[in-house]
Formats: sequence, C-alpha cells, structure tokens
Amino acid sequence: MTDAQRRWIPLLFFGSVVLAWEAAVRASGQSALASAVVPSPAGVAIAAARTISDGTLAAATAGSLFRVLLGFTIGAVLGIPLGLLMGFVQPLNRAFGPIVDSLRSIAPIAWIPMALLWLGIRGNAAVFIVTYAAFFPFVVNAVQGARLIDRNLVNAARALGARPALIVRSVILPSALPAILTGARISMAFAWGSIIAAELAMGIKVTSGGSGAVGLGQLMVSTLYIRRDVNALVLYMVVIGVIALIIDFGMRRLQRTLTPWRQP
Amino acid sequence: MNPKIEARSLSKTYVSARTGDKVEALRDVSFSVLPHEFVSIVGPSGCGKSTLLALAAGFALPTSGEVLADGVTITGPDPRRGVMFQDYALFPWRTVLGNVEFGPFARGAGVEERQAIARRYIAMVGLDGFEQRYPHELSGGMRQRCALARLLANEPEVLLMDEPLAAVDLQTRNILQDELLRLWGDDGEPAQRRAVLFVTHGIDEAVHLSDRVIVLGRRPGMIKEIVAIDLPRPRRAVRNSAAAGAHVEHIWSLIRDEAARAIVEETV
Repeated sequence: MTDAQRRWIPLLFFGSVVLAWEAAVRASGQSALASAVVPSPAGVAIAAARTISDGTLAAATAGSLFRVLLGFTIGAVLGIPLGLLMGFVQPLNRAFGPIVDSLRSIAPIAWIPMALLWLGIRGNAAVFIVTYAAFFPFVVNAVQGARLIDRNLVNAARALGARPALIVRSVILPSALPAILTGARISMAFAWGSIIAAELAMGIKVTSGGSGAVGLGQLMVSTLYIRRDVNALVLYMVVIGVIALIIDFGMRRLQRTLTPWRQP
Repeated sequence: MNPKIEARSLSKTYVSARTGDKVEALRDVSFSVLPHEFVSIVGPSGCGKSTLLALAAGFALPTSGEVLADGVTITGPDPRRGVMFQDYALFPWRTVLGNVEFGPFARGAGVEERQAIARRYIAMVGLDGFEQRYPHELSGGMRQRCALARLLANEPEVLLMDEPLAAVDLQTRNILQDELLRLWGDDGEPAQRRAVLFVTHGIDEAVHLSDRVIVLGRRPGMIKEIVAIDLPRPRRAVRNSAAAGAHVEHIWSLIRDEAARAIVEETV
C-alpha cells in the first residue's frame, strides 16, 4: 500500500460511519428530519445550511471566540508576570504557591454559580470563568520558564556588556518563552473547554428569545428549549470540536514561528 | 609593567545550598597576568580553577582577598574582560550573526556597524556562510568558533577562557589550538597580543599555548607552582618537541597523586 493510499483510510472509514449512521436512522422507520431526539447526517447538513445562511452560527461562534480571547488575554497579562516573579523570587513562590495550587485544583466550571451570583448572566460571568481557566496554566508554566533560565547565558550577556534591561529582554524572556507558549497552548484549550460550559450554564433570557450577544453555549440552550432541533445541537458540537482542533493547530504553529531555535 | 589581572591572596569558600556544608574552593591564591601574556591554569578536577576564572570575570566575589584588573578591584563583569565558556553559552535564540553582534549591540552600536563587525569576525573564524544558522544547527567545533567570534567581536583587552576546547574531539582540538594561537598573534609582534587567562585540564594543551602555567592543587585549591614555558613561538613548530614533553612531565608529576585521589573521591 502506498502512502497516498494509506492517507485515504481514515477518510474512507469516517465516510462509511456517516453513511451507516444515515442508513440506520432511515431503516428505523422514523422520519429522520422530523425526529425530535434522533439526529441524522442529512439533518445536520440541513441545519448547517440554515444556520450558516441566516448568520446565527457565525454570530454565536464569534461571540464565544471573543470571550475566549478576552479571558485568555486577561489570564496572560495577569498570569505570566506573576509566574515569572514566583520563579525568580523564592519568598513570593512560598507565599503564592499554595494558594495557586489550591485554586487551580478547583475546576473552573465549579465557579459558575459564584460567577452568576456576582456578575449575572450578561456575559461577564463567562469571561470570568474563561479567565480563571486560562490564568493557571500561564502561571504554572511561567514559573517553570523562569526556573529553566541558564545562569551561564545571563553571565555571558553581562560579560558582553549587557545592562539589566537588555538582559531581561534578550536573555530572560527568550529563555522563558518556550515554557510560556506551552502554557498558552494549555490555557487556550482550557479556555475553549470552559467557555461552552459557562455559556450553557448562563442560558438565555427568555424575553430576548435567544437573540442578542450570545455564544455557542447559549445557542445550544435556545436550540434545546425553544427550537428543539436535535440536528442543530449535533452541528454545534461538531463546530466546537473543529474549533478546538483549529486552536491547537494554530497554537502549535505559533510556537514554531516564535521559537524557531527549538529543535523539532 | 602593571599586570592586566592580578589575584591577591584570593580565597573562596562556598556554602552548599543543599547540605549547608562549607566547601573551600580556593585558599590564598596570588598570581598575575601581564599584558600580552598567555597564562593557563591547570589542576585536577575539584581544584577550583573554574571558580578562579569566575572571580576574574566578576561573576562571583571572593570570600577574602581580591582580584584587580589594571589595578582596580573587580566587583562585577566588564566587557573589557571577555569570557569564553566551557559550554560556549551561545544564545540559542540568536543566529550566528545575532550571537556575534551581541556585544556591539549591548554597547549601543547601530545595525550596520554591528553587522559589519560581526561579519568580519565570523569570516576570521571561518564561519562565513553560516551567519543565519542557529547554534543547534552547528557542530561542536563550529559552535566553539562562533563563541570565539562573539568574544573577539567585543574587542576585549583580556580573554578569560574556561576550558573552551574541552567539548571537541582530539583532532579538532589540535586544530583549534593552533587557530586560537594564530588569532591571538602567536606569529606576530608580542605587543599585538592580548592578555589571556586560560583554564584547562589538558596539561599538554596548557604547555602548548602558554607563556606560564599555574598549577593548582585541590581541596583547597592552592598554587603548587607557576611554571614558565620558555618554548619559542610560533608554537605549532614545537608541538611534541622534547622540551614541551619535559614541561608536561614536570607538571604531571606535581598533580599526579592528587589527580588519582580525585578520581576516587569524585565517585563517592
């Protein structure tokens, strides 16, 4: 078997599973498109065509991604400096270490009730959850990054005449960058994982009929309770998975671009 | 002639961070490196020779005594004293060009000036064509050359070298020794040469390169003898000569017993 043929195996298998699924739904005798509980590939495709053409899918995806990016950014801005400081200054590590470890072992979604209580369902609660999820991987990996700095390289820079500001910029940050980017990749995965949970829990205001600034999670709630469209639910799950894959791919690319000195 | 580097009753005691034990690395070490002079430090492992170099570089401060550069007590690193590290300490995120231009860059040279300087020294060590490579894409010998170019591009007055040839194979090592001598001015006028303090565990290497060899004993590191090497320069003509062999034999006799003990003690 050639490489080209081998590459077709997963696609063929995937296609067969989808066809078998469709066949099973039709053979069961239910009218697949009208069923409220049994999704089918054809139904998912129709839901995709509808939500793409009327813009609901794009709007909800953009809403979720915006909150993820916002929370990710806040998590980075707070987490990276804290982690680096903890890595460099032992007393700070002693002080913050136990708190960080205790807090990060609480799953972000366990904060949802508190977030709703404090911030309401307008979306700030979801941003809070995402920030919380993104924050800890940044801290933990930045601590590692700071610890991995080679004293010899700092000495080399000093002996070449580098002042402290240049040492931070040219030695300390690049030394810590690979670990920070690893942290960013994990943060992004956590953030995307928790945004959906947070939005599902926030639900929708019934008065707004599910419209307005919503994310994929909220769209799923309205689809479940208002539209009762099982095929659309499956579609959103597929979209969530595909976006997670794209995010991971993008973060790996970013790592390769920003740290080209690392051996593959 | 005032020495470029002078150590006055230098002692250094470390406190181990793990066990809290005190380790006496150097005791009452005094010597000097004159301008244009190539001085090596040899000794068995654990004799504190790398500690001595770190003190001369200003990376660490002595427990007592002092090191002076041009008569001024050393309190920290200075670009006039260039350092070459055993593992080269190249910046992995900078290319060959980026590493070599770092010194001029740190001192505020503009892009064109520092690149011109860097290219000149890259060519001098024979790395032209490899400017855009990262250190991990270079062989051991090429990294060593890159580190040498980075060191020389800063035009230091004194070269402090910590076993710079330890990590390359024997043939490469012989070639690099003679190249180092050529760049230093082994063939030329003594007045053109820079002061060098060179740490090595290779006695033959120390004899081949140096004007004087400082022989250190171990635990604590104390000077056993300072041996003047009166061989003519250029040295590549007298490699493996009987006179060089006699110096090697003499230095070896000074440290043989301690070197043998070091093998046993390093393993326990």
